[in-house]
Amino acid sequence: MSELVHPYHRFIRPTVTHSSFCPGCGDGTIAQSILRAIDGLDMDMDDFVFVSGIGCAAWIPSPLFNADVLHTTHGRPIAFAFGIKMGLTEKKVMVVSGDGDLVAIGGNHLIQNARRNIEMVVICSNNGIYGMTGGQAAPTTPMGVKTTTTPYGTFENVFEDISGLVIAAGASFVARWTTGHPRQLTASIKKAIQKKGFAFIEVISQCPVQFGRKMGVGNAVQMLEDYKNRSISIQEAKKLSKEELKGRIVVGELVDLDKPEMVEEVTRMRKKAMGGAEAAVDTGRS
Amino acid sequence: MDEKRVCTGRYFMMGNVACAEGAMAAGCEFAAGYPITPATEVANHLAEKLPQVGGAFFQMEDEISSIAAVIGASWAGKKAMTVTSGPGISLMLENIGFAIGVETPCVIVNVQRGAPSTGMPTIGIQGDMVQAKHGSHGDYEIIALCPSSPQEMFEHTVIAFNYAEKYRTPVFLLSDAFVGHMREEVVIPEADKIKTIYRKIPELGTDPLKLKGFLDENVAPMPIFGKGFKAHVTSSCHDEYGKRNLIDISALDKFVRKLSDKILKHKEEITLVERDYEGAEVVLVSYGGVSRAAAEAVLQARKKGIAAGTLRLITVWPFPGEEIEKMARKAKHVIVLENNLGQIYPYIKAEAAHFSEVSFLPPKLVGEIQDPEDILKKIEEISK
Amino acid sequence: MATLRIYNELCKGAEECGICLYVCKEEVFQPSETMNQKGYRPPVIVNEDQCTQCENCMIFCPDLAIVVSEKKQKKGSQ
Ligand SMILES: Cc1ncc(C[n+]2csc(CCOP(=O)(O)OP(=O)(O)O)c2C)c(N)n1
Ligand code: SF4
Ligand code: SF4
Ligand SMILES: [Mg+2]
Repeated sequence: MSELVHPYHRFIRPTVTHSSFCPGCGDGTIAQSILRAIDGLDMDMDDFVFVSGIGCAAWIPSPLFNADVLHTTHGRPIAFAFGIKMGLTEKKVMVVSGDGDLVAIGGNHLIQNARRNIEMVVICSNNGIYGMTGGQAAPTTPMGVKTTTTPYGTFENVFEDISGLVIAAGASFVARWTTGHPRQLTASIKKAIQKKGFAFIEVISQCPVQFGRKMGVGNAVQMLEDYKNRSISIQEAKKLSKEELKGRIVVGELVDLDKPEMVEEVTRMRKKAMGGAEAAVDTGRS
Repeated sequence: MDEKRVCTGRYFMMGNVACAEGAMAAGCEFAAGYPITPATEVANHLAEKLPQVGGAFFQMEDEISSIAAVIGASWAGKKAMTVTSGPGISLMLENIGFAIGVETPCVIVNVQRGAPSTGMPTIGIQGDMVQAKHGSHGDYEIIALCPSSPQEMFEHTVIAFNYAEKYRTPVFLLSDAFVGHMREEVVIPEADKIKTIYRKIPELGTDPLKLKGFLDENVAPMPIFGKGFKAHVTSSCHDEYGKRNLIDISALDKFVRKLSDKILKHKEEITLVERDYEGAEVVLVSYGGVSRAAAEAVLQARKKGIAAGTLRLITVWPFPGEEIEKMARKAKHVIVLENNLGQIYPYIKAEAAHFSEVSFLPPKLVGEIQDPEDILKKIEEISK
Repeated sequence: MATLRIYNELCKGAEECGICLYVCKEEVFQPSETMNQKGYRPPVIVNEDQCTQCENCMIFCPDLAIVVSEKKQKKGSQ
């Protein structure tokens, strides 16, 4: 009898022997959730171009995924992805990066491309910390906790609702899950891949090394337990007051709507320009 | 080249518009930028013309995203460019280093303006010359062209695209407000007279595991996206397969050297200069708009019987040291002219000082090109 | 064919990670003393017959180190 084979190992770059994450890191669960969505849609890795920034989460597709991968600079993956999508409109472009990358240093690219509603999937691994650089406070770090750059406790207000920001900016699909919800996460990633528009998924993800242990939340398992206890579905959350929702993680598909998508609008604009090409050849003016 | 892209004819055209027409003729398909004086006309014109041939200009949220989008489009297989001025370049520098590191063809037009900081937007200076070479972190080589007229804004943009594609590297067009806003006769040749180059890509179907897509001094074929090459393109130190290596110093050494050697090995065929110093004792070395004043001053000097000549650097980077040396061996005096406080001067002096007297003549007022009269005076003084 | 397989060399350790032990309701796994080449101690399968093939361990494992054989339904889960 043949040995059992992992169904997603075929999506892994052959030169990669193991993931780059610390033991128990939620980023690995996110990676598998993405691969399961691709498998579930019967798609091929060649249907995708993956783009990441800098940080632990940026190592989810790079070099792990056996596909075209652009591992860019800190904060900028969505901006690179914009150019890739405009050049390869028939491909699915997926950005995977961390909260610091996408929301702190790269926040404006997130906002502006959500507004443009350009078709791409953006997956944000939100571990509430700068993992890669050794546990510095991120905008997503809870107020008061000690980190390497806030030895007396963070004194800034926490960015509580990244997904809310992306909704306000105009994205057509937004969901939030935790790494304790890999099945739901996969279902949302599938929808995001199929969405004609900017699809953003925030994944609350455990960094047991720089967050969990240092802040007393515990190891990977304890962090998952904490997510389970604090999560509340968007449907349930709607029945509660702001006060009652304090400390809770609202999960679910928060927005799913149809609106003009940028790649299609550009195609429309080109048609208009080509129609008027004759009249516009004059170049003698500025 | 596609005839629709080339508006053959004789025009009275602004330098910035000629640049956009050059991009069209070179096959540019994607442009991204952020509005800034004195570069905006290039963007405006591209926004009008590119969609007519199936391309587009995109106004991004800043210059960081502009160059990022250009690099992304280039990896998607498109000929791509961005256009800005000094403040925009300052924002782009990290990603320009990325483009160098992963060998991305693209054209960066810098219509330089009064600086530092916000400076004086409509005044042209040559203030960002060294920034182009050393602005991003780490050792690298860059190619930079310095047009001196609207005609060259057209021609050099075509060359810039060809160099970018041929050597898989960002190429700077270092213009300034003076040349960008100048209006002059521009002759655009027929489409079939314009040579265009497209990057090499690996043979379709190549086994991704065998594909060496990086770090070849002879320019590796570019494993562009969407073709099944499964390219791993990383800003981190990597080997010729694109495989990241963060522990082995010899990998870093190779990474740094190969990238630079790729340009240096082809320096001779990249370098463009204009030599007019046969028998000259005093040679003026300049580039860009300043060269126009230098040429005029030499004309006057020769009328007065002074053996003067010029050497114009068309490509300032990679620095054409050999050309400087060749000239300096023949000249007695070398006068360097730039519209700044002397940015390329130290480089020229380093090559020329063994063989001749080298001096720098700054503009009377930075932002105002040297008056040919003043240059002539200096020539006369020196050759006494 | 077996119901479960652990890729011991991919696992980052029941002590450091241990997520599979946590998400398995049937206590199919147990920590073990045996080290892999990377110095981690992967769990061992002790109750394979208890496995309901819910795939929790496989789906949660951050290192693609566990595979559960398919139930009669379509491959993978939703
Ligand atoms: C321009 C720049 N600034 C700073 C850094 C250093 N840096 C690398 S990763 C990182 C933070 C990453 O945090 P996040 O995006 O949340 O990813 P995580 O590691 O937590 O997954 C920083 C600041 C960098 N690489 N580039
Ligand atoms: S530092 Fe944290 S986020 Fe980074 S790999 Fe380790 S556990 Fe994951
Ligand atoms: S979840 Fe995976 S990596 Fe973690 S202990 Fe179990 S098998 Fe090992
Ligand atoms: Mg983080």
